[in-house]
Amino acid sequence: MPEFRARRTAAISVTAILTGLIPSGIAVLVLVGLAALARLARPTPPLDAAAARTLLGDDFPEAQIDRIWLADDGSSALARSGARALYLFRLGDAWVARDLAWTDAAAAPVRGGRLHLRLPGVSPRLARPVLAGWPPEPA
Amino acid sequence: MLEAPFDPVKLAVPFFILAILLEIGLGRLRLAKAEYEARDTLASLAMGLLRGVPALLTAGLVFAATVWAWEQRVFTVPFTAWWGWVAIFFLEDLTYYAFHRLSHERRLWWAAHVNHHSSQHYNLSTALRQTWTGSLVGTWILWLPLAFLGFSPAQIFIQQGISLVYQFWIHTEAVGRMPAWFEAVFNTPSHHRVHHARNPRYLDRNYAGILIIWDKLFGTFQAELDAEKPRYGLIRNLGSFNILTVAFHEWIAIARDLASARSLREVGSYLFGPPGWSPDGSRDTSESLRARWAARQAAASTPAE
Repeated sequence: MPEFRARRTAAISVTAILTGLIPSGIAVLVLVGLAALARLARPTPPLDAAAARTLLGDDFPEAQIDRIWLADDGSSALARSGARALYLFRLGDAWVARDLAWTDAAAAPVRGGRLHLRLPGVSPRLARPVLAGWPPEPA
Repeated sequence: MLEAPFDPVKLAVPFFILAILLEIGLGRLRLAKAEYEARDTLASLAMGLLRGVPALLTAGLVFAATVWAWEQRVFTVPFTAWWGWVAIFFLEDLTYYAFHRLSHERRLWWAAHVNHHSSQHYNLSTALRQTWTGSLVGTWILWLPLAFLGFSPAQIFIQQGISLVYQFWIHTEAVGRMPAWFEAVFNTPSHHRVHHARNPRYLDRNYAGILIIWDKLFGTFQAELDAEKPRYGLIRNLGSFNILTVAFHEWIAIARDLASARSLREVGSYLFGPPGWSPDGSRDTSESLRARWAARQAAASTPAE
């Protein structure tokens, strides 16, 4: 009997959780829909070199940027800072930055015009920008 | 009393929804600052919606441990005594301060808390970007002394809920600053914007739950400066809105680090050192970021010879 009671209690708990989750899930979707309709996202115009430098400066304030390559659609940029490559990309209405060794960036393959850049960190692992003026001329 | 007669968080859910609607409406009408990105909002609200599911894994253990601690209590605080509620208000808030500071300053607990800071937005939906792994890392142990003291499990649960509900409304840019007396005593949107900022000056500051006095007392207070607008998010922001990434990215990073550890000391430091610790010091911690920022500030203010 105690086993039966425990199982019954568990079943009731799961039912209670699902009963709570369904209306809450609907409320979440309504709120997200309204947030989208309200158009309250920040403006993120296509990157130019000055904007890319400013945004990279937020994440890498000590970096001296030697050169910047901008993506054709302005959604990302790759910069060289000495032995480091700094990569900037748009996520929603915000910007995300990563750094990696310049040698890795310079050696990354280009397929179909897209640079296949392996990024450090958990997500994303791969970026595929189309960069104007890439690859750089060998020094 | 073992079981709480009500759950403040459940009672507050309609208020949460109405408040978010109000913030979106005010933002749309340009009557208040409110920035929302749909996928960011979905990630935040989904984290909040599903937070209870993983917590079920440990709910029984947490409840049993709290009841056990209460059975060993030194005093008995009557559930209906007004002074008991006054006492638990202060003691629970102090416990929250300790929990929150630990959650930022030691990586194992940061891994459970980081998701709350992973949005680059600061709006009421961010408040609901709650942890999925918090109960697994045992931070609930910090609340057991309250039960030992004599506060019932129900009373502790209710006060925790009151604190969580209070902290909802401070996740907004729609409110500038509250009256000076309020800012001096309570955690406010202004104080908590500092807490969510990744500017070096603001890192690891303002851990308060309800009362900001603990930060002032323990030296972790930083006022929001008009000259330095908070930039929200992480030192290295997430590149994804996937909620599994939001919930588990730091755990994955820890696992990778542990796999590469060369000694027990490194294992210990990867788990219990400050977030950003690395054997060769090549990664940034809050302390190193702040020190380099201070050095840059000093260099900038020193006249060139």
